Amino acid sequence: MLVDFELVRRAQHGDSAAFNEIVLAYRKRTMGTIGRLIARTEDVEDVAQEVFLRLYFSLDQLRAPEVFEPWLYRLTVNAAYDYLRKQRRRPEFRMSDLSEQQVMMADAVAGGKAEHDQQQKKKLRETVDSLLGAVSEADRVLLLMKEVEGLSLRELEKIYRVKENALKVRLFRARQRVLKAFETAERKNENG
Amino acid sequence: MYPMQGGNDKLDSLLQAYREACPDREPSANFMPGLWRRIESRRNFTFSFQRMVRSFVTVAAAVTIAIGVYVSLPRATPASEVTYLEALAEANSLDTPENVGPVRLELNEAGR
Repeated sequence: MLVDFELVRRAQHGDSAAFNEIVLAYRKRTMGTIGRLIARTEDVEDVAQEVFLRLYFSLDQLRAPEVFEPWLYRLTVNAAYDYLRKQRRRPEFRMSDLSEQQVMMADAVAGGKAEHDQQQKKKLRETVDSLLGAVSEADRVLLLMKEVEGLSLRELEKIYRVKENALKVRLFRARQRVLKAFETAERKNENG
Repeated sequence: MYPMQGGNDKLDSLLQAYREACPDREPSANFMPGLWRRIESRRNFTFSFQRMVRSFVTVAAAVTIAIGVYVSLPRATPASEVTYLEALAEANSLDTPENVGPVRLELNEAGR
């Protein structure tokens, strides 16, 4: 826990200063998680604000401060999932944005190492993003929470409120689909 | 299953690299003011909605009371104690001269 239980209790009783402290403690980590889940840097802050907005209005439903972190993760996952669903309804918007970014990136190439690294990272993000296109938004989020965020099955069980075995099956299937897409992409690269 | 195992390892490495390529980010200076603006805006909306609901409930209660009073008032009047048949009999009594009195012919000049 990044904050103590007493602070959570105070925030639950409507203490704005306590809530502010909680946001300050968790916002960086939450934004990092969202950034990896949605793969669109420009919308990360907006989604993070949505997470804390939901937290503010749902804190009174939290049964015990001990489960605060899974609760916050749950809100983060839900907000990221909602965002991804909205994006899917507007695919042309997303594609046009990406191509614009690529154009800007191409213009910005000056041959320096920093730019090169940035470009590599961007390419990597795009590769993973496209590989995860092989699974649904829900599975994408679940897979990233396990494989990238490094959460254990027990933690995921608390967040999703689903039995560990069901999660294992879902993760296995999602991973198999991504793996298949990955191998197909690799074969294409070798042949091309 | 060796090729698959190799694929698994590569995928793990790729996801690990992805984790490193997307580090935790520093929020902008506008993060907290923006968040509080959104909270205030939602709170105002909720407050207005609650006020609207309260007004609606008050109006509904007033209308219910008014209807209750309206329904109970006619029962208190004496007219309601007279049955329909009694009222009809009173209005068209057989004793009234219009029905049972002698027929009067009024002959005018032309009929004579």
